[in-house]
Amino acid sequence: MKQSFFNKHSLIFVVYGLIMVLMVIGALNSERFLSIRNLTNVLRQAAYLGTAALGEMLVILTAGIDLSIGSLVKLCVLVSAILMDGNPDNVWMAVFLTLGLGISIGLIHAFLINEFNLSPFVVTFASLFILHGISLTITTKPIGRASRDFLMLYSQKLMGIPIIVYYFLSITLLVMFLLRKTVFGKHIYAIGGNLSVAQLSGIPVKKVRYGVYALCSLLAASTGLLWLMRMGVGDPVIGKELELNAIIAVVIGGTSLFGGRGTVIGVLGGVLLLTFTDNLLVVLGVNQFMSGLIKGIIFVTAVALYKQDDRSKGGFSGP
Amino acid sequence: MSQTDSSFILEMRNISKSFGGVNALHDVSFQCKPGTVHALVGENGAGKSTLIKILSGALTADRGEIIFKGKHHLSFSTREALNHGISVIYQELALVSKMTVAENIFLGREPRKVFGLIDELLLRLEAQQLIQQLGMKMDLDKEVGELSVAYQQMVEIAKALSKNADLIVMDEPSAILAGNELEQLFRIIQSLVNRGVSIIYISHRLEEVFRIADVVTVLKDGRLVDTRPIKDLERAELVKLMVGRTLEEIFPPSTQQPGETVLEAKDISTDTILDRVSLNLRKGEIVGLAGMVGSGRTELARALFGADPLTSGNITLNGQSSVFDSPSDAIKKKISLVPEDRKQQGLFIELPIRNNITMPILRKFSMWGFLNRKKENQIIELVRKKYSIAMTSGSQEIQYLSGGNQQKVVLAKWLQTQPEVIIMDEPTRGVDVGAKFEIYQLMRQLNQEGIAILMISSELTEILGLSDRILVMHEGSIVAELQPSETSEEQIIEYATTRTFAAT
Repeated sequence: MKQSFFNKHSLIFVVYGLIMVLMVIGALNSERFLSIRNLTNVLRQAAYLGTAALGEMLVILTAGIDLSIGSLVKLCVLVSAILMDGNPDNVWMAVFLTLGLGISIGLIHAFLINEFNLSPFVVTFASLFILHGISLTITTKPIGRASRDFLMLYSQKLMGIPIIVYYFLSITLLVMFLLRKTVFGKHIYAIGGNLSVAQLSGIPVKKVRYGVYALCSLLAASTGLLWLMRMGVGDPVIGKELELNAIIAVVIGGTSLFGGRGTVIGVLGGVLLLTFTDNLLVVLGVNQFMSGLIKGIIFVTAVALYKQDDRSKGGFSGP
Repeated sequence: MSQTDSSFILEMRNISKSFGGVNALHDVSFQCKPGTVHALVGENGAGKSTLIKILSGALTADRGEIIFKGKHHLSFSTREALNHGISVIYQELALVSKMTVAENIFLGREPRKVFGLIDELLLRLEAQQLIQQLGMKMDLDKEVGELSVAYQQMVEIAKALSKNADLIVMDEPSAILAGNELEQLFRIIQSLVNRGVSIIYISHRLEEVFRIADVVTVLKDGRLVDTRPIKDLERAELVKLMVGRTLEEIFPPSTQQPGETVLEAKDISTDTILDRVSLNLRKGEIVGLAGMVGSGRTELARALFGADPLTSGNITLNGQSSVFDSPSDAIKKKISLVPEDRKQQGLFIELPIRNNITMPILRKFSMWGFLNRKKENQIIELVRKKYSIAMTSGSQEIQYLSGGNQQKVVLAKWLQTQPEVIIMDEPTRGVDVGAKFEIYQLMRQLNQEGIAILMISSELTEILGLSDRILVMHEGSIVAELQPSETSEEQIIEYATTRTFAAT
């Protein structure tokens, strides 16, 4: 029995359906909600979680995890702010060095996992604390400055849509392309799907790990730059719980924490759902603490539903 | 002969391998011709898997050489073996279940375009070709995890072909197949052979060996017994070569007359296919239950064991009407069930032996909830001796035992509850011939102690060889009761596949 496209991805349709529902609720409760201004704001907001979530997705697909991205974003905000120091001549240097920092951290993660057989959980958990510690050692108060032209990127729009949204969409398309059309992408799914089979098939598992962890940290570093665009200074408050939110978004979007399964569209849905929820809570004037509660509930429901889904589709059938 | 005979595609000469003092293989030589099916048989521990691992490059022989396609090798790595054209398909299929058929076939060797992009067109084209070569139709985009095992196996074969294998080793390929899936496999093997591929076929099932193989090599205790063309052999002879015993000696006969009826079921049905079944079991006898897959044998076992509630009929134990609320209830009333799939249902596969044996009777040596280790060890030692289980200690993890020994542990576990009736579902599945004999002996031993055994089995030789009485099931009912000495495999199959009820 061939499964229809709808059937196979039914829960992702549910996620997008929920987003529609939220939009309706929002529209009913506030005339501002469906305004272009608010919607593009939400999309721009989504870029912050979304860029990081896409990176996290790559790692989770290989049955790994990166718990350090929140601290890395924090460190990157500080580093880029300090390097830029309000000087437009420093912008490129600051950007490249910050992204370089991201890649390096990712490579270190993969190195430890590959060569010392440490679990990704352990390595990135330690990294979370180390990067956090380094950040707070550098400063406990806002520091550094973005240059004026860099700051302007936040509000700059092209045809009415913020540049940041274009950035996010390009990243989304790139990751989608990577996963679907390249050998590297196939190998990512294989490693997460069945590590021993992947190894036996001659897939360069270690190389692929370097790739995904570096990409994850790179995307996290770019998120740090996005934050600098928004805050204008290096504020060590940034990045709190980012990894948790990213993981929630990734899981809601149908990515299995055990690896080997997940789509970019799904993750995008997860990100949008969370972002719209937050936005709606603000519009409705609800207490921000509810946000955590609601996300937690959505997360558990998603996990249970996806498990249920998997089970009912299991079992053997013909060709 | 010492020259290379170029008519062989593979020659393994004087291969020896030992593991820490234990001789796994001693001076084994065998030759395989191209375009033939060469069966490799032997008991577990005879050295088959060691030999195959050396061939696949997973292990290196201590002594001896391998001549493949005319070239001499002392050893090679798995990569090299693959490159030379040797491909092994293991019982645990090496596939990624969430990926498609096409993706799995080319896993790790995906055709590429520039920049690391997958050449999807080429991938699909070649996958399609391979599937067609096998004479099969398959949906390339289906997730492999959604396929039946038979088709998964085909994907593995396509994978081997895609590596241009000249020699494919199949390790117990039929263990996971049923019905006419086996026919499909044979057809594929035939088409492979027609194209000049050689197959080394490892199997416990001698009927298949006679069906499909051209030559058979028998290993025993790490040594070569003989290599002979199949047409020169008879089944009984083959068994003798493997085991050193004749067929008659394999099935120990009953040494006594059956006693009084201990269990009687009248018109029992459950929510499953089971439909008003009546039977009785007497002390000291083995009743064989035959039938096709899905005929209700396992359902009958579950009903008798209290795992499924009865919707009609009743069960009498020793003359008293009994209702089993649950398996633990049945156990208390002295009925045991040794299930079909020991890995999933019979054992705690990752726990050590001691836990497995003593799980049902922990109460016996615990005081106020605490376990008395000493007593536990005594029981384990007793069990080990009584059933000759080959193990290093009670703490050994059960997954490291051979299939036969695992089965013995399962049996030993249930025997601790001192049952009067034991229901055994496929007692010797996945067990080699030598261990089968030991289990049969055990069963007769139990008979002597007065225990009644209901044996469900799909192996008709086992049913005919060991049962005192045979019951045949079809679509949830018992359709015949036969005497082993008065019936045949053909007759049993006939009853199992038609609807007529036969009077005894």
